[in-house]
Amino acid sequence: MEIKPIFSALMRSKTGPILVAVQVALSLAILSNALHIVNVRQAVSARPTGVVAEENTFSLRVKPLRQGGHEEQLAMQKAEAAALRGVPGVISVANTIQVPMSNSGNYNSLAAKREQLKESIDAAMYVTPDSLVKTWGLKIIEGRDFTPADVLEIDQNTSKEFPNATIITRTVGEKVWPGASSYVGKTLYYGTGKEARQAVVVGVLEKLQTPGAAVGENGEASTIIPARLTGGTRSLYAIRAEPGQIDRVMKDAEQAISNVYKGQVVTRTRTMLEDRADRYKADHALAWMLITVSVLLLIVTASGIVGMASLWVTQRRKQIGVRRALGARRMDILRYFITENVMITSAGIFGGLLGALALNQLLVSKLELARLPAEYMVVGAILFWALGIFAVYGPAWRAASISPALATRSA
Amino acid sequence: MFQYYFMLGVRSLRRNPALTALMVLILAVGVAASVSTLTILHVMSGDPYPDKSERMIVPMVDNGPIEGYTPGDERNDNQASYRDAVNFLNSKQGDRRTALYGVAGSVEPERSDIGVFTAEGLAPTRDFFDIFEVPFMYGQAWSASEDKDATDVIVLSRKLSEKLYGSENPVGKRIKLMNNSYLITGVINNWRPVPRVHRIIGGPGAFGDEDEFFIPFSSAIRHETQHNGSMNCTSYRDPGWQSLLDSECTWIQVWFELHSASARGDFQNWLDAYSAEQRKLGRLKRNAPNVQFNLMEWLEHLKVVGKDSRISAWLAFGFLVLCLVNTIGLLLAKFSVRAPEIGVRRALGASRKEIFTQFLIESAVVGLVGGVLGLLLALASLTLIGKSSEQLAIVTHMDWLMLGVTFVMSVSAAILAGLLPTWRACQVTPAMQLKSQ
Repeated sequence: MEIKPIFSALMRSKTGPILVAVQVALSLAILSNALHIVNVRQAVSARPTGVVAEENTFSLRVKPLRQGGHEEQLAMQKAEAAALRGVPGVISVANTIQVPMSNSGNYNSLAAKREQLKESIDAAMYVTPDSLVKTWGLKIIEGRDFTPADVLEIDQNTSKEFPNATIITRTVGEKVWPGASSYVGKTLYYGTGKEARQAVVVGVLEKLQTPGAAVGENGEASTIIPARLTGGTRSLYAIRAEPGQIDRVMKDAEQAISNVYKGQVVTRTRTMLEDRADRYKADHALAWMLITVSVLLLIVTASGIVGMASLWVTQRRKQIGVRRALGARRMDILRYFITENVMITSAGIFGGLLGALALNQLLVSKLELARLPAEYMVVGAILFWALGIFAVYGPAWRAASISPALATRSA
Repeated sequence: MFQYYFMLGVRSLRRNPALTALMVLILAVGVAASVSTLTILHVMSGDPYPDKSERMIVPMVDNGPIEGYTPGDERNDNQASYRDAVNFLNSKQGDRRTALYGVAGSVEPERSDIGVFTAEGLAPTRDFFDIFEVPFMYGQAWSASEDKDATDVIVLSRKLSEKLYGSENPVGKRIKLMNNSYLITGVINNWRPVPRVHRIIGGPGAFGDEDEFFIPFSSAIRHETQHNGSMNCTSYRDPGWQSLLDSECTWIQVWFELHSASARGDFQNWLDAYSAEQRKLGRLKRNAPNVQFNLMEWLEHLKVVGKDSRISAWLAFGFLVLCLVNTIGLLLAKFSVRAPEIGVRRALGASRKEIFTQFLIESAVVGLVGGVLGLLLALASLTLIGKSSEQLAIVTHMDWLMLGVTFVMSVSAAILAGLLPTWRACQVTPAMQLKSQ
């Protein structure tokens, strides 16, 4: 082909081609890293909590104006739950102290032995007298759910009691007893030293995210203990509604609680989807910002290529006329400009791949970002080749349309 | 001559409208992207108390358990236990000192048209209002003796006051909150320090909503008011309020206002002496170094400016560089068709320096126009970002500094981009140009 003459023509005026190549290189370097970050964040915010059909679940916080003693609180909690179960469209209700992705919760250090100096892992501790497994549809991979016999009624203001049973997530098991094939029946310690409480594992969950839903294994380190707690200022319920009825059920549930307390109560409902949206708000904001910048990046680069190509076409009008007059077809002119552009873009892409790696290295070292997978660079390179051809096509077509007679006449 | 070249530059904007418009637009978009991310960074890392931040100090002793501790490990927590907080309050160190924790409770309004609702507030000591320069609309803070006697007094936020009492001055009235009756001593005016340095841990965060009310720390403790925020306990404590106060659970934040930044050395000595004394009592067994943060060090320590904001800013600057390269190309194209004109001017006696000045000023004009457009775009994008969440709304305000930065950035970017094309324009040889015409 005609690569050699094109190359020598390029070498005669280097500034323009270098500028285009630099643009392609910069865009590719930024774009591949930006898309990588977007995808990482997307993956993080798409992680499952372990709760099935999240869109049908919500939490309801009940804060009575006046709290009675232990016995009265127990009675009121049971009345609250009964009222909620009576709401049409409610499938399941569980009293709990926290819900996944809500950001505030209770964490405990766990250990396999009392004598252990350092805890094995910090895990979220859900407390429920009901069945979170049923309400949230959590998947038990070993053992069983709690039975009413497991549940302990504890007055937090006076009692140091602790239930004897616990359900853990697989992540907790793997961290506390590395290498073990089964966790049911093992004794788990909450805390270390003489103050540590112990409970026997009765069930293992495949997954249950913590209220913080941190990235990595800490986000899936949860335990559930069977107890009804009094002495707090509020109670919290996880509720599952019939599909499609959640909005009405939330209103009715608040009304039901208000009736129990004759209006002397403050309630608040939040759907799990709201909690999810809040938890990942920052990730979505960053993703949008990066996508916007990426789109602008492509537009600017494309317009740069169009601008430079148009300039070259104008500058070479006479030469194109001469070539056409000497027998070159339109196709040849078109091919000339496209080949030239592919050569420039290729140089840019080569530089861009190196740039992408360098930028990624910087982000990895300064901001603890993950390494850039090769796919992004391959996809980015193909994208910019396509973009280059697409952008140069217009000016190249105009060049091909130059009539040989007109172009050569003025000379 | 500058004026004349400037006019020429303005006129030449019209000479090649499509190319010029593209150039201005690209520059504007690049500047807008970097200015809006920079504004967010700038506001987030701002110093709400520039006059005294150097001497606003958070002290920290490590009260974590000795078991499993190896020297050099991270500190147990960033908050203080009740015992340390009270000792700090009684220390007489610095000009002012306060201890605070978040509280929340139900408000029972007198008016029947408003139902019961929950409000979130703070339980500090009276010095809090002076240390953080809280502005008052009505009344004033409670007195030191009311702190000492744990009196049930309260300061309301303007918003809560207007919600409950409209535009009336409520000082002297009593409000029913968390089942107690509090005497209103003051109402604060709108107070939105950014970041909210006093309450980064727990609660609504560094850029969250304002506190709705303030009650004395001592009164909150007396009523056994539960904390609304984060608490870190390294071991199980006995049940009940008194055992929480006696425990090593950390849940309180302490601030000192020193007389001057140079008093930090003395304060450190006192802190070391304090922890040595506590060690004799069997506490603080880790014997970890005691530290103090001033306000800006505290923001840095808690990483208030998130990783995400930095990533955005870096990528936006990469984008600006790309726009710059693009502008170089476009200016090159714009100037290259002017070679005949330059030839004539050179032949008539203009020096290279004259040509250089003229074309650089022309680039600057492009930068100026791009700056104005970029400013508008930046304002638009900041509004858009601010609308996406309430938290971001606080940090998306442009100030005069950022306004200036926008123009300086835009013009210098254009001049930088114009250097190469201008230099090329100067290389035009008059003879060649005249001959070819």
